[in-house]
Amino acid sequence: MNAVLTLAQKDLRLLFRDKGDVFFTFIFPMLLAILFGFIFGGGGGTSAIDLALVNESSSSLAKGIAGDLTRDSSFAVTTFATREEATASVRAGKVVAAVILPSTMQDGLDGLFGGSGIPIEAVIDPSHRAEAGLIQGKLHELAFRQFPRMFTDGAQMSKLFAGARKTIAGADGLTPAQRLAATGFVAAGELFTTSIDRSSVKSDTPATAAAESDAESASSAGAWSPVAVTVAELPPRTGGPRSSFDLSFPQGLVWGLAGCIGAFAGSVVVERSRGTLARLRLAPITQAHLLAGKGLACFLSALLVEVLLISMAVVAFGSSIAQPFMLLVAFVLSAFAFSGLAMLVAGLCRTEAEANGAGRGGVLLLAMIGGGTIPLFFMPPFLRTMSYASPFRWVVQAVEGPFWRDTPLGEQILPLVVLAGIGVLGFGVGVRSIRSTLGR
Amino acid sequence: MLTLGDIRKRFGATTAVDGLSLQVSAGEVFGLLGPNGAGKSTSLAIATGLLAADSGSVDLLGLGSPTNASVRSHLGLAPQEITLYAELTARENLLFFARLYGVANARRRVEELLAIVELESRANDRIGTFSGGMKRRLNLAAALVHDPKVLLLDEPTAGVDPQSRNRILELVRTLARAGKTIVYTTHYMEEAAKICDRVGIVDHGRMLDVGTVAQLVTRHGGHSAVTVSRGDQDERVLTADPVAEVTRQFAVGGVTGVRVESPDLEAVFLALTGRSLRE
Repeated sequence: MNAVLTLAQKDLRLLFRDKGDVFFTFIFPMLLAILFGFIFGGGGGTSAIDLALVNESSSSLAKGIAGDLTRDSSFAVTTFATREEATASVRAGKVVAAVILPSTMQDGLDGLFGGSGIPIEAVIDPSHRAEAGLIQGKLHELAFRQFPRMFTDGAQMSKLFAGARKTIAGADGLTPAQRLAATGFVAAGELFTTSIDRSSVKSDTPATAAAESDAESASSAGAWSPVAVTVAELPPRTGGPRSSFDLSFPQGLVWGLAGCIGAFAGSVVVERSRGTLARLRLAPITQAHLLAGKGLACFLSALLVEVLLISMAVVAFGSSIAQPFMLLVAFVLSAFAFSGLAMLVAGLCRTEAEANGAGRGGVLLLAMIGGGTIPLFFMPPFLRTMSYASPFRWVVQAVEGPFWRDTPLGEQILPLVVLAGIGVLGFGVGVRSIRSTLGR
Repeated sequence: MLTLGDIRKRFGATTAVDGLSLQVSAGEVFGLLGPNGAGKSTSLAIATGLLAADSGSVDLLGLGSPTNASVRSHLGLAPQEITLYAELTARENLLFFARLYGVANARRRVEELLAIVELESRANDRIGTFSGGMKRRLNLAAALVHDPKVLLLDEPTAGVDPQSRNRILELVRTLARAGKTIVYTTHYMEEAAKICDRVGIVDHGRMLDVGTVAQLVTRHGGHSAVTVSRGDQDERVLTADPVAEVTRQFAVGGVTGVRVESPDLEAVFLALTGRSLRE
C-alpha cells in the first residue's frame, strides 16, 4: 500500500507542477462553468433584470407602482395573474424575482401613519442575491414616486384626509396631545394640498426627481419608512434548476474530468516513452502496484475537481445540494469511471503524439456531445440520442440528479451503474493493454 | 554474481541478442564494449528482468531470475536515458525512488547520495534545469538509492562534458572499491580500458571474446608497429617483440627517431569484427 501511495503522491505532485495540466484540469472548467452560467442567464452585466409582477390590489397606488415598474428600463417585467404563477416562474429560473403588490395595498394614509407602511412583497431566487438589493431599492423608489401624485389629486386627497381624520378619531392608543397634534397635521396637510396650483403640474418628472430624493433621505433615515418592502427567498425547490449555474457547473465537471484523462493518460505514455516506467518496474513492486498508483492519483484528482467545482457553485453562486450523500456516490463513481478511461486511453496510445492528438481529440469530442458545450436539454433530439454514447453524459446525469434535480433514488441507479461499468471496462481493457506493453 | 547463459532475443526479423553468455564475479567491473546497436542495452534489459529473453537463463547472486521482485531488489540500473522526473527536484526524485524501494531512513540516504554525486547545492532545483552531466550523475544516484549489490550502468557517460565524465568514472571506481559488482556498457574504448577489470566485446548480439584488456590485446591485437626514422626516411615494421626490433634497428645504425605503437582495444575490435568501433 505504501508503494501505491508513494506512486500516487508522485503523480499528483507532477500534475500540480505542470501549469498546463493544472489549467486544463482545474482552472479552465471553473472559468467555463462561470462563463456558461452567465451566458445562460446567470445575471450580471447591465442587461435588464427579469421580473414577475402580480398586482392583487385594485388601488390606484398599486396601479401607479405597477405602471412605473413596467416602464423602468432596469427591469423586463412579465405580469402574472397569481402569486403562485409568478413564484413558479422564479423557481423555474425564468425570472430573477417576483414582485407582489398585495390586496392590503390601499389608497389611504392609514398605513402611513399607523407605522406599517405601504406593503410590497418580493420573492427572490437565492442565487440572485446580488440583484436583491437593487430590486428592493427600486421598489422603495417607485413607492415614493406615488406620493406627489396622491398630493396633487384633489379628490383623492380629500378622501385621504377624511379617512385619516376618522382613523385618528377612532384610535384608542393616542394621548390627547398626540391626537391634537395628528389632527393638526392632517389639517395642515389638507390646507397645503388645497393651495397647490394643479395646473402647474404638467408632468411627473420633477415630482419623480423629488420623490427619488425623498426616497433616498427616507432610506438613509432608516428608522421609519412609509414603504414596507418584504423580500423573501425562494425555499429550496425540486425538479428545476435554481439558476443557470446549476447547469453550468456540472458542465464544467465534464471539462475537469476531460482534463484529468488528458493529464493521466499522457503521463503513462510519457513515462513509457521516456523510460521512467522501466525504472519504476525495476523497483520491487508489481505491475498491480504501478497501475494502482496511477489509477489512485487520477481518481483523487478527478474527485478533487468535482468537489471544487460543486463547492464553488454552492458557495459563490447560491446553488444547493438536494441529496449530499448521493452526490458523493456520484462523485466517487464518476472519478472511478474516468480513472478507468484514463487507463484505456493510456493503453491504446503508444506515443506522446497519439496521446496528445487522438487521445485528447477523442476525449474532447465525447465531452462536447456529452453536454460539455451545450446542456443536454438544449440539444436537438438526434444529438441528445448520440450523447448516450458519451461517458460525460452519464456524469452530468449522475451529478445533476442529487445536485439540483432531486431525482428519486430509483432514477439515479442507471447513470451510476453505467459509470461503474465504464470504470470496470476502462480499467479492464486499459490495464490489459498497458500490461502487454510492459512485457512482464 | 551475475550469470547470463546463452541468451537469445529477436525483435521481428532482427536478432538483437544471439546466444550471449557472460559471468561477472563479485566486486568486478565488467565492461560490455560494442558499437551502437550491438545488443548491449538489450542484454542489460534481460539481465534486469525488464525484458524476457526468447531463450537462455539469467541468475543473480545465485538467487534465480531477476524477474522475481525480491531478487531484482539487489540490482541497480542507470539506464542510457535520463529516467528521472524533470518536474521534480533532485531531492524529490531520489526520495521518491528511496520510498519506492522501502529504504529505511530514506531522507538520510538521499542526503548521502546527493553528497556522493556532488549535487547538494542543487538538491532543491528541478532537474529540468540541470546540465547533461548533472542529470547523468543524478541518474546514477537513483540507481544507488537502495544500495544494490549489483549495478548495471548503461553508457553512463553518453553525451556529457569531459569534466562530468571524469567525475562519473571516478565514482564508478569508488563504487568498485566499495565492493559493488558493476556491469558497464560503453562504446568508448578508453573508458573500458581505464575502469574495467574484464571486457567483453559484443557485436551483432554475440559475445566475441571476454578477458582483461591485456589478454584481449594479446589474443587479437596483433603485432606492435615500430616506426624507425633515418633522416627523411620512415620505415614501419610490425613485430611481436618491439623491444627486440628496436634493438635490432639501433644495431643497424643511422636511426634518428623511433615510435612504437602498441595494439589497443580498437585493434582488438577491428580484428574481431572486421570494422572499426566508431563506424
